[in-house]
Amino acid sequence: MSELVEISEVQWEIPATARPDMRVPARVFADRELLAAIEGDGSLEQIQNVATLPGVVEVALAMPDVHQGYGFPVGGVAAMELPDGVVSPGGVGYDINCGVRLLALPLAEAELGRRREALVHEISREVPAGAGKTKRGTHRTADLDVLLRDGPRGFGRTEDVERTESGGSLPGADAAAVSERARERGASQLGTMGSGNHFVELQRVVRLFDQRAAEAYGLRDDQVTVLIHSGSRGLGHQVCTDYVKQMDAAMRRHGIELPDRQLACAPASSPEGRAYLAAMAAAANFAWANRQAIADAVRAAVARVLGNESAEGTRQVYDVAHNVAKVERYDGRELLVHRKGATRAFPAGSAEIPEPYREVGQPVFIPGSMGTASFVLAGEPGSIALAFGSTCHGAGRRLSRTAARKQIAGAELRRELEGRGIVVRSPSTKGLAEEAPVAYKDVDRVVDIVERAGLSRRVAQLTPIGVIKG
Amino acid sequence: MFRWVEHTAELELEIEAPSEAAVFEEALIAFAELAGDGGGYPVTHELELEAEESSMLLVEWLSELVYLSEAEQFMPARIASLELADGRLRATVEGHRGEPKHLVKGVTLHRLALRQDDTAGWHARVVLDV
Repeated sequence: MSELVEISEVQWEIPATARPDMRVPARVFADRELLAAIEGDGSLEQIQNVATLPGVVEVALAMPDVHQGYGFPVGGVAAMELPDGVVSPGGVGYDINCGVRLLALPLAEAELGRRREALVHEISREVPAGAGKTKRGTHRTADLDVLLRDGPRGFGRTEDVERTESGGSLPGADAAAVSERARERGASQLGTMGSGNHFVELQRVVRLFDQRAAEAYGLRDDQVTVLIHSGSRGLGHQVCTDYVKQMDAAMRRHGIELPDRQLACAPASSPEGRAYLAAMAAAANFAWANRQAIADAVRAAVARVLGNESAEGTRQVYDVAHNVAKVERYDGRELLVHRKGATRAFPAGSAEIPEPYREVGQPVFIPGSMGTASFVLAGEPGSIALAFGSTCHGAGRRLSRTAARKQIAGAELRRELEGRGIVVRSPSTKGLAEEAPVAYKDVDRVVDIVERAGLSRRVAQLTPIGVIKG
Repeated sequence: MFRWVEHTAELELEIEAPSEAAVFEEALIAFAELAGDGGGYPVTHELELEAEESSMLLVEWLSELVYLSEAEQFMPARIASLELADGRLRATVEGHRGEPKHLVKGVTLHRLALRQDDTAGWHARVVLDV
């Protein structure tokens, strides 16, 4: 794209002058090879569209794992000045507070030994996977209001809650702003994984890059870990549906014109903006409660296979959101930072980080594609200077689901993974193929770029030994 | 008729039909294809929807099917009746209760279109987040 200006080896900018409707430049974190892939889909146009939003400040950003979405690209970051900059539900996405949680078991893979398959099997029994799956005996409707307000605070282990972004509970959540339909879609789904790219993965630590940070996070060589990737399920999907519709209807009244209707937005200070932020916070809290319930289920499986002592010793390293809008302060300004497929990555010294991690930076988890490495990163000062405290969120899709299925059959992929010693449990062979590694970018390259850009640094590399997929 | 267009992470539905009502029928058939076969006892839903413009009515229609599939495990099969007038839709949808295979997170407004062309055919485009 001719408008792209090289800022550095890993930063490219489209100036605000590229289009008359852009209020700020758009910037992409990528090397030349990734940039070529990014130019192949519509994500550069989409990040320029984001740069037109009223109240957007400084720059609209695309992370190296960016790919085309709807409205915002997946991997997009934009900050709006409060109180009157806009909030866009499409800038958060349908899966509000989709995110990742890492648990560290008190044993090495060598100690797990032949019990690995039994553990994967027990986890798959405890955590329902697949489209629309529900869980029996989940919280009564009356309790849903508490979950929406407090997230996991009422039932999660104190040390888990303390090691969760925002303490597992965004301020300003209002259960009354969540529609009855959203409640109906989500109420019975607490503790379920969902489908698509959601998973629970049993892993082992194969490499430590930063011994000091790894020690602070409680990670050591060959340790067994569990990575949980899920979100707010049908409840969050419906909250987004409800408020995109409301904002679409209100835009003319607010005098807002946009290049893409899915960017529908309203000033954060408007009645529509305030109501969405209250509902989004409630859905985000539900997502944290969901990942807490999954973590509890994993511990139950650990208890059955490895004993109560191992379950008790299974610690939560951290839990990060990668689809959310949050109020944060930069250079004395209060901004509403939209992260859609991007992760907060605060550096050492931030008061937002749990005390045990404050000297090394916030943990960030970057799942690779199924069967490939995942990374634990730590936030770096560059995230604040360049990216509103953000970094990437994953490998980033490269192929459509159909194209992925054309490249490899689910049964073949299952055999290939099992041939590499990875235990696989998935109700959908088709779903397995859609999430095949070939469908994703190279996670090593994505992580290399955020490290070279100074957004975050590598702490540990994890490799899968068991995969449970929706 | 309808077709699915490739996207990196989403599904784009394109419909061509001889009438506006037929667009809505095709949208239901496409959604039923996503939900999959099989199922339990028969279920009928009476739906009444309205929107200020026809493209938003199509979003409402699909959003209703998304909601029913997730909240009530409804797998639509056919439209028994459909009335469309003045931004309002009334329909009787028959199907069964089951386990929908491919749930849609949301019906987006990205690239949304519903229009009649010069040859009196109707075209629609809607992107689903899956």
